[in-house]
Amino acid sequence: MTSYLLRRIFGLLVVVLIVLTIAFIIVRLAPGDPAALMLGPEATPEDAVALRAQLGLDRPIFLQYLTFAANAARGDLGDSIFFNQPVLHVLAARAEPTIFLALFSLLIALVIATPIGIYAAYRRGSWLDQISISTAMLAASVPSFWTGLMFQRYFATELGWFHAAGYGGPDATFIERMSYLILPSIVLGIVNSALILRFTRTSMLDILGEDYIRTARSKGMSERRVILRHALKNAAIPIITVIGLTFALLVSGAVVTERVFNIPGMGNLVVSAVLRRDYPVIQGTLIVVATLYVVINLLTDLCYLLIDKRVRY
Amino acid sequence: MTISFSAGLGRITSALTVALMVTALALPARADTVNVAIIGEPDTFDPMMSTKDVVSIVTQHFVETLYTFDGSWSVVPLLAQSLPDISNNGKTYRIALRQGIVFHDGSAMNSADVVASLNRWLTVATRGKGVADKIDEVVATGSHSIEIRMNEAYSPLLSLLAFSNSAAAIYPEEILTGDTIDQVIGTGPYQLVDHVPDQYIQMARFDDYVSRSEPSNGAGGTRTQAPDEIRFLPVPDPNTRVEGLLSGQYHFADGLPTESYGRIDGASGADPVLLRPFGWPIFAINHKAGLLTDLNIRQALQAALPIDDMLFAAFGDENFFVVDAPLYPEGWAWRNNAGVEYYNQNDPTRAAGLLKTANYDDTPLRILTSRQYEFHFKMAEVAKVGLEAAGFAVHMDVVDWATLGQRRNDPALWDIYITHSPFLPEPALTSLYAPTSRLGWKEKEKDDILNNFTTQTDPAARRDLFAQLQQKVFEDVGFIKIGGFNALMGKSSDLDGVAPSPWPFFWNATLN
Amino acid sequence: MASAAPLIEPRFIDLLLSRRAVAVALVVLLIVLAVCLLANLLAPEDPMKMSVRQRLTAPGGDFWLGADAFGRDVLSRLLYAGRVSLGIGGGVALLSSLIGILIGLCAGFFRHLDGLFSRLIDAMMAFPDILLAIALVSILGGSIVNVMIALSIVYAPRIARIVRASTLVIRELPYVEAAHALGSNTFVIMYDHVLRNILSPIIVQSTFIFAYAMLAEAGLSFLGVGVDPATPTWGTMINEGRQYIDQAAFLILFPGLAISISVLSLQLIGDGLRDAMDPRLAKNL
Repeated sequence: MTSYLLRRIFGLLVVVLIVLTIAFIIVRLAPGDPAALMLGPEATPEDAVALRAQLGLDRPIFLQYLTFAANAARGDLGDSIFFNQPVLHVLAARAEPTIFLALFSLLIALVIATPIGIYAAYRRGSWLDQISISTAMLAASVPSFWTGLMFQRYFATELGWFHAAGYGGPDATFIERMSYLILPSIVLGIVNSALILRFTRTSMLDILGEDYIRTARSKGMSERRVILRHALKNAAIPIITVIGLTFALLVSGAVVTERVFNIPGMGNLVVSAVLRRDYPVIQGTLIVVATLYVVINLLTDLCYLLIDKRVRY
Repeated sequence: MTISFSAGLGRITSALTVALMVTALALPARADTVNVAIIGEPDTFDPMMSTKDVVSIVTQHFVETLYTFDGSWSVVPLLAQSLPDISNNGKTYRIALRQGIVFHDGSAMNSADVVASLNRWLTVATRGKGVADKIDEVVATGSHSIEIRMNEAYSPLLSLLAFSNSAAAIYPEEILTGDTIDQVIGTGPYQLVDHVPDQYIQMARFDDYVSRSEPSNGAGGTRTQAPDEIRFLPVPDPNTRVEGLLSGQYHFADGLPTESYGRIDGASGADPVLLRPFGWPIFAINHKAGLLTDLNIRQALQAALPIDDMLFAAFGDENFFVVDAPLYPEGWAWRNNAGVEYYNQNDPTRAAGLLKTANYDDTPLRILTSRQYEFHFKMAEVAKVGLEAAGFAVHMDVVDWATLGQRRNDPALWDIYITHSPFLPEPALTSLYAPTSRLGWKEKEKDDILNNFTTQTDPAARRDLFAQLQQKVFEDVGFIKIGGFNALMGKSSDLDGVAPSPWPFFWNATLN
Repeated sequence: MASAAPLIEPRFIDLLLSRRAVAVALVVLLIVLAVCLLANLLAPEDPMKMSVRQRLTAPGGDFWLGADAFGRDVLSRLLYAGRVSLGIGGGVALLSSLIGILIGLCAGFFRHLDGLFSRLIDAMMAFPDILLAIALVSILGGSIVNVMIALSIVYAPRIARIVRASTLVIRELPYVEAAHALGSNTFVIMYDHVLRNILSPIIVQSTFIFAYAMLAEAGLSFLGVGVDPATPTWGTMINEGRQYIDQAAFLILFPGLAISISVLSLQLIGDGLRDAMDPRLAKNL
């Protein structure tokens, strides 16, 4: 177990190093000059050259990489060109909305998906099964910005039930800020419930076909008990995996939704950063998000170990 | 596990319900706070360093200049006591400063601050650097008076000093030590309280502000400091700005798509604000290299462009654009009709003939544009169809605004790039006419006219010279004005006291 | 898993078509494909022809599905755009499979490469799809081919992972070892035994990638970092139509429907394929 853990952590470090390198390469290859962008439409080419030098963008790329890697190892992801602040600082300021948006939409997805998924498996082939499966698939087939735009238009602007956009002003309380996340969470929750629903259903179907379930049934145990006691317990493992995956995806994948609802999260930040050519921020976001993903993955696997003693390495 | 799981769900559901109720009860922002949705995050709070409109809009509330513009775009004093005393040869400007002006850090403004600020402006600001070689020195002649001494008369100087864009902002001398200013300190009616990037810029009334006493007129005159607080909220997506305005989240929203006019007009809580006219879309022409260095091909381009279709597709409704040749709109002193017959010819046959004269060899005409401004892209698409009909091969280079900003600096990469400008109070505020601009438009006669124009001080003579300059723009196809367009902004029905402007300001805004 | 089995068993097709939804999806997808491929015959207009004065004409009359902001025929554009959108989806499915198979086989077959390759796969998988795609397209530039390359890089690790896992298992099977011992060429073994056996999971996965890639293209266009906006794709059509949601909702309705129908069909087909290939699941249905 310990050696497994050590092996996994070493593997994780290697992955993070590769992530670091890929992120550096991707970002440096991009065209577009952050200096020209910062100076505005009437600035002269000479102004841009001067600013590039001031920002260190004119040094050889290899040197830039070495500096970058060494600093990253110390947890320093550089300074945002645009904000003139440490990247980690900028990212930390964007973490709250993104994490809570991911959390809420995951919860909404779970509330929708797990009961329906279990029931659909239990009544496989029934009209409810058919409908829930097709609806889930449909929800996953519509572009999420389309759903977002429609919901924003109808539920926020027309009906006034929710905030249309933003994340509250300077004196917004935590609850107020969270209230801005409700509508986007619903949109994301619906889109993501599809994956969880289908996965729950499939895992339950797998388990329900196992011998010990048949034994339990034959012993006269009530169907409700069979489902909740035996089946769900065993199906929990794959479901946890998919929840972990979904959460990791949500933390990073809310780009479009954050953009539609103007939520100042990490996804929105990275799109702005691409448009602003803020290299260190793009890099930093890619690295932090990818690292987060790897760590969540590891944690999910550890959950496996804890829950299922049958899984051995 | 099952039990705790569902109990957890129960808790979550009730938490969501509570949150839902909170939303339903959410109060509108405090009545004395004005929320303004702007098109993006300003990249700096130092208006000297940027020529972006969004920077001007925000920073004019906390930094001020010696002069500013009134409602009819005449220069009026702001931190200066009155208009300068200009020597007869036009080379010396004597400027008396107002007394008792206090910076946000509590220090009093004097001539040392002004001299240091103007010197920095001449060194770092794009527009300042443009005149630096004409200025010998800026000196303090008393505790509250300065003098600008020049080696040649330059009539646009006063407009440059008044402009909020690449602005000659006045800072305390103490903060001007390094290349950049960490904490911007000004004399404006509002001071910066808090700034969370991409979320809000919060500013509050500056209690020690000393307003001018003349009646408010444009940015000139009394600044009443009516709102307690002004918050600028960067909202990059135009549709989100519309939705936010309509749902009551913003009191004012800048840069709205013209398509939303009907919806805003019909909504009960919001009104459209139309800035008529706002500015002019421009096809900037590369005179340094490539296809358009040939006058015949430039004239073919001018002849082929289907101007009215381009404007119609770009702005959709005649409420929002005008097919208008002169470089200044109706009602401006600079307006004249020189050369207008070259505008909107829409004549593919003539263009084809000119191309033939030029021995055009099907080298593609490269149009560099971006979708940051949707109307740029739309004009380019329609232009492409018209140019192809005349026999041009056209290559559209659609990039993001950042890349465009970079590529246009390299003359090898483009023939035309698309941009726009508000109508500026002084023609020399734009670099388009200058041989040193990135367009590189050099032509002996035009350069002489331009030189006379900037040294001449008599207004009537300058108007006449500008007409000659306009004639040259058309004859030599220096650049192409596509037309005039209006800008749509929106405001809450409760908001008053905000005049339509390319750089709207809110110190006189009141909320009912 | 007999090595001599035909690539696709007949039973499999029966199984696939026995589910009505899957059969319908297959027919729908084929119709969509056919209509778009025949765009040059079926489209009533040149998709680029502008009649600016007739912009935003409602559906009916001269323009069956209306006219867009430039007065271009929406139906014609929808058909031509379909070629591009489906082409991007299909191209990504194909290209990412090729890259994925190559990486996966190498990782699975050559032990000394496995460490490096599987870490590379892990690292690539760790980047969120859309973020990686945004970053890649912003470097490569927004042409059709570049969007395809970017999305293929994004999705290839999914295939690679499947291929690697299957290869590891199959490599140890007695008959493969036997073939090795008999001196068969490694590449022949890879093709004969491994590739044929893992073809079905690859097909399933690439069907889903087809669907995701179409959604991703639309998302990239929405964020303004997708295909050159002058090229009609369903994504760019929605993005353009978005501005006219009031006057002409049909502008986003039709391409939105086209994407959703195609993606839905692909997902149904993918599901059907998966079920048909996994007898244990099929038994449950």
